[in-house]
Amino acid sequence: MVARSQRERLLSAALDVVAEKGYGPTTVADLTREAGISRTTFYEMFEDKEACFLAAYDSAVDVLVRRISAAFEAEDGWPARVRAGLEALLASLAADPPLARLALVDVGSAGPAAQRRYRAGLQRVTPFFDEGRDFAPDGRRLPANVSRMAIGAVIGLVTDEIEAGRADRLPDLLPEVLFAALVPYLGPAAAAAETGEE
Amino acid sequence: MPSASSPDSSASFARTKDIGGLLEQEQLPAGRDALLEPPVAHSQRERLLVAMAQSAADKGYGATTIADICTAAGVSRATFYELFKDKEDCFHAAMELSLADAMGVIVAAYSPDKPWAAMVRDATAGFLELLASRPTFARMALIEAPASGGRSFQLYASGKRVLQSLLERGRDDPVEEEAIPSSVSRAALSAAESLIVGQILSGNTTRLSELLPDIVYITTVPYLGQEEALRQSREAEKHRTVADR
Repeated sequence: MVARSQRERLLSAALDVVAEKGYGPTTVADLTREAGISRTTFYEMFEDKEACFLAAYDSAVDVLVRRISAAFEAEDGWPARVRAGLEALLASLAADPPLARLALVDVGSAGPAAQRRYRAGLQRVTPFFDEGRDFAPDGRRLPANVSRMAIGAVIGLVTDEIEAGRADRLPDLLPEVLFAALVPYLGPAAAAAETGEE
Repeated sequence: MPSASSPDSSASFARTKDIGGLLEQEQLPAGRDALLEPPVAHSQRERLLVAMAQSAADKGYGATTIADICTAAGVSRATFYELFKDKEDCFHAAMELSLADAMGVIVAAYSPDKPWAAMVRDATAGFLELLASRPTFARMALIEAPASGGRSFQLYASGKRVLQSLLERGRDDPVEEEAIPSSVSRAALSAAESLIVGQILSGNTTRLSELLPDIVYITTVPYLGQEEALRQSREAEKHRTVADR
């Protein structure tokens, strides 16, 4: 019980410290101080700073994917499901700009292992996009990597916004992001029609 | 080179296809010739640049030390500092070299008489081939540089803006007329980049050319519609398999 809560404190401390200082300058001492645990306890749980950061990163991605999934599943019809999932994504990131920056921008500078986790995180939303293949009239003819590319388009637009320091205004980006997500499956006319609704 | 005569000429790449002007505007070299160095320094310098790219690819730019670079290049620390101010300067030079090659490929794909979709296809094909032939530079330019911040990130970003302008040419002759968001070229480029980076990270850099039909589809579909984008994608597949033989 105690070990579990110490671990959770440490993971949340790791996200806070790295979001504030950047991955490179963060030390194990920073993490133990922020989490209020001893160095010995730290090394009982993690081999080093990187292992701790990766675990923290995974836990943050977990939370994000669960929120997206819940919003997506609550709707009917693929375009409405995608819209809801994207709304959840944008709202979650906008609610915590430092974490958004960490999750999508700074993770790239934390070394190859972190970059692989980032990619693995992106792949977890693939099923939401793959449904578009069944929904689209031309679904079977679409390129093999269409879902990966659609995810890349969405994340690219979101990342640009975060890099420009506008993470808190991400929800405003919904029409553009929705268009980018739908256009590979539905074509520009249908994607624009879906984007213009509401 | 770009004679900024008419008031709208800065935004006129789409109409004039002035790729030289575009490169100049982004202060990018159009090919490798711009980067020639004196012979001896050239080889030591190139060894250092290759070592820089290699180390950044293996352990990340952040974790790379000047000692790593010098050891791998077989060059003394003193020589390193004769050629570069610091690690960032060396990384920036390695990025410049990569970008010069990439821009060379794009200039080669460009021709005023070529249809837009063919230009996108040829530039993409050349770009993928270039990346496949230099896996470490590919990794450095598309994975480490974007995350590095500073001047190298700026180089990466300006290279991306050139590609974006090339894509925006598609707005001139859209088959379907509805309003599409202005971010559509940026989104398409991110889609292609994400696919390429995924392939590099999974260790399949040498087979990047296989992605050509997919990338042609994603970059043309917002402008040309699905039917035509699928047709262009099939064309690209034919093109690719012919080139492979």
